[in-house]
Amino acid sequence: MMRDVAICGTGYSAIGRALDTTVGALTLDACKAALNEAGLTPKDVDGMATYPAAGDSVPCFYVVESLGIPRLDWFEDLFGWMPAGITPVIAAAHAVARGACDVAITFRSVKRNRERPPGIGYGFRVPGDMQFRAPFGDPMTSQWLAMWARRHMHTYGTTEEQLGSIAVTFRHHATMNPDAPLRVPITLDDYFASRIVTTPFRLLDCDFPVDGAGAVVITTLERARDLKTKPVKVLAGEFATGPRPDWDQWEDLTFMASKYCAENLWRRSGLKPDDLDLAELYDGFSWLALCWLEDLGICPKGEGGPFIADGNVAIGGTIPANTHGGSLSGGRLHAISHVIECARQLRGECGDRQVKDARLGVVTAGGGLMAGALLLEGNV
Amino acid sequence: MSDRPLPLPDPETAFFWEATARRQLEILRCQTCKTWVHYPKPSCWNCSSGDLKPEQVSGRGTVYSYTVTHQDVPGYTAPFAVVIVELEEQAGLRMVSNVVDVPPEDVRIGMPVEVTFQPVAEDVWLPLFKKR
Repeated sequence: MMRDVAICGTGYSAIGRALDTTVGALTLDACKAALNEAGLTPKDVDGMATYPAAGDSVPCFYVVESLGIPRLDWFEDLFGWMPAGITPVIAAAHAVARGACDVAITFRSVKRNRERPPGIGYGFRVPGDMQFRAPFGDPMTSQWLAMWARRHMHTYGTTEEQLGSIAVTFRHHATMNPDAPLRVPITLDDYFASRIVTTPFRLLDCDFPVDGAGAVVITTLERARDLKTKPVKVLAGEFATGPRPDWDQWEDLTFMASKYCAENLWRRSGLKPDDLDLAELYDGFSWLALCWLEDLGICPKGEGGPFIADGNVAIGGTIPANTHGGSLSGGRLHAISHVIECARQLRGECGDRQVKDARLGVVTAGGGLMAGALLLEGNV
Repeated sequence: MSDRPLPLPDPETAFFWEATARRQLEILRCQTCKTWVHYPKPSCWNCSSGDLKPEQVSGRGTVYSYTVTHQDVPGYTAPFAVVIVELEEQAGLRMVSNVVDVPPEDVRIGMPVEVTFQPVAEDVWLPLFKKR
């Protein structure tokens, strides 16, 4: 028997560039905040999921022990390449739906390891598929996805100005979000003045690394109705990859696994892109949000650049996106912040940045060969 | 050059690096359906056959995509270009490499290239590309 499921609590720890605390402490702060928002206590929790894979976070057991949760009837520590922030949320929604547990808490926590430069996780001799990249000066995710973005620019005429308009738009949204670490408005001139990381990506095309944690509590829709916050119903949670899941063997670098994920999302929900009131799109790099827009069918394939540059994804536009500033300006929390923002928008709690009459939202995570997406509904 | 990461060949990839050390480019090919399979795997992604053997390829291809990296990474001083080359043997048969005789800012998608080999250690030659 599948039960209706809702998000009933959301919470953050402090979020900052280099916080003088542990990732465990950040995680507990976020979990307590999310439980408190719902009016629940650790004694109510019987399910848990997280993504501790990169060694930048803590596993479920740490939280069970530290919060004094008496027992879990379902838990998952998720590893490997996957849409890191959203995977635990979808897994927990499915677990509650099938009755494996009744109150599941999920979190994604990040504490940067400043001892290790990005992309250098290897010894001098590189194993696996990376032996075909690192010796050629290609060890970083930014480089792999830059080549997807470049192929998209080549095929569809997407411009640097259009990529810049993503950064500018999301920063504008962040100016209205007191939780966002980057709140000073930027212009396209600022964008072009920011240093090039790896073409076509400038610094302002890249998410902003932070220390912090976000947590989301999920329970049955029935139980959520009796809790402190308005329930946000989980309509669908889908994943996908495609054939040849590899950073350069993928069939066509102008679309991502998001294309397959979107097909699952619309087919299984019976809804369509036109039904959406807002979209919280994974933006580890600016171009990922553009490609998600296209692959979801919010705009036609190849028209993401002009669609964004014309203001469609700004608050007040046809489909506001990344209303909290996204990862570009809200900090790299691997899309758990996208989930939290969408839930709060659908509860109507977002103040100056509130999307008017927001009822249906999509949250996405992942880029390139992995994709996950949630459809959330408010006023249920 | 000395801090450049080097490949750690394993039973699936050793043939590739042994071939480049002979200044030849070899790619696994399915002997059942004739699909080229890269990166090396013990099974054909097209037909699931396990009958794969290395075969020499022409070394000719075109630049499928590229990025010019403006920060140093081990063995490389910025700016430098990383390219994905699509080999002419098969649509979608791609490998990451560098173009040796073109300034990074002049690399373009569609540029015709051919393989050349560069020694980076006593036993390791990298397959790089030059404009053709």
